[in-house]
Amino acid sequence: MSKTDDTKLIERCISGDRQAFEALLAEYEKPVYNAAYRMLNNRDDARDVTQTVFLKVFQNFGQYDPSRRFFSWIYRITLNESINWLGKANRLEPLAFEAADEGKGPEQEFESARVSATVQAALMTINTDYRTVVILKHFLGCSYVEIGEILELPEKTVKSRLYTARQHLKDELTDQGL
Amino acid sequence: MTIEQKFTDLINADIDGDISAADKDELQAFLGDNAEGRALHDELASLCDTLNGVEQEAPPPYMRHIIMNSVPPTQGKEESPGFLQILLATPALKYSVTFAAGVILTLSMLNSNQISHRTFDAVTGLVGTVAEPVETTFAHSISLSETDIAGTVSLRSAGSIIILDFDLVSADHIEVQADYTDKTIWFNGFAQLESEGTTVSAETGQVRLTMEEGKRRYAVYLQNKGARNTTINLRFLADGRVVHQAKLDYAPED
Repeated sequence: MSKTDDTKLIERCISGDRQAFEALLAEYEKPVYNAAYRMLNNRDDARDVTQTVFLKVFQNFGQYDPSRRFFSWIYRITLNESINWLGKANRLEPLAFEAADEGKGPEQEFESARVSATVQAALMTINTDYRTVVILKHFLGCSYVEIGEILELPEKTVKSRLYTARQHLKDELTDQGL
Repeated sequence: MTIEQKFTDLINADIDGDISAADKDELQAFLGDNAEGRALHDELASLCDTLNGVEQEAPPPYMRHIIMNSVPPTQGKEESPGFLQILLATPALKYSVTFAAGVILTLSMLNSNQISHRTFDAVTGLVGTVAEPVETTFAHSISLSETDIAGTVSLRSAGSIIILDFDLVSADHIEVQADYTDKTIWFNGFAQLESEGTTVSAETGQVRLTMEEGKRRYAVYLQNKGARNTTINLRFLADGRVVHQAKLDYAPED
């Protein structure tokens, strides 16, 4: 969806049009859920964070800066909520990285599911600063400039983090036989 | 031998297609002479292909519904109308057909001594002939957010009729049991809106509904002739397993 389309939808949302909000939800539900899932490694938590994100978006349309792209705003909220969620989880109990092995159902028999789970396990071995840039680059398809906008980081820092993250992931996935 | 950071950066930039012509030439010259550099380039390119190729997870099918239900009504907009208002705000014939099917099914499954024909006529009349909106009073609602079932159930009343308004999304076949201990309350009718995936049966003190996968909107009418306080206990079952329990309270207005 183009920036213009998003802006029109947001204007309609601010004027109280629930259908416009549902259209935004339809557009961004999947990337937001996936970003949260890759950050948290838990589908139930990703669902809860996604709900929170959209509720916050709905309640804070007034704070949205229309000069910025909507996706950068909602992705930023998503990553912040996910990091907050991880913080809460860490206070309760250590993160179980082996949880990436969840769902040993039939779908795991498929190669794509195996790759997805292995990648997820590797993602959980790198810290959140690195994980966020990998998710934005490879799972949400953002450019360096867009990642910089979302994370409010210089492009040079984005590249540095991404390259370092890739090196870690490469080593981790090699160890796991992928 | 360690690869210089400069060339590691150029390798990453090349893989991302974010490299100038001059840098590309410099990288090619480096890779031509350096087997370790070529291996790193291949490994990182393979890694990026793997990351980019990971399939996106599908969000739970009911999540959108839950989110829409969780956002508050917006300024200047009226609260979402109840089932009965929707039913009556649109051409009656559309729904009377659905309603009639529900009633016929219901009649076929009920013990005849539980049915007040007079009140059935009244409800049928509401659906089929009333032109003016019927005033309903909101009493209570509950929300569900389970893996198998999500949405809301609200309890409204219109005179002596209690209306259970189900607005649900299910991931699978779900059975809903609505129990009421007050034996003076009768099952009085059933209607569903723009879907046919729900069936109903009733016995003394209980209405059972079975709904198929998907988004369903339907209503159950109960006759509370004595206008008594009552509680409706709801149980939602998937494959015979209780996935959610809730209760709805009704107290008539003074």
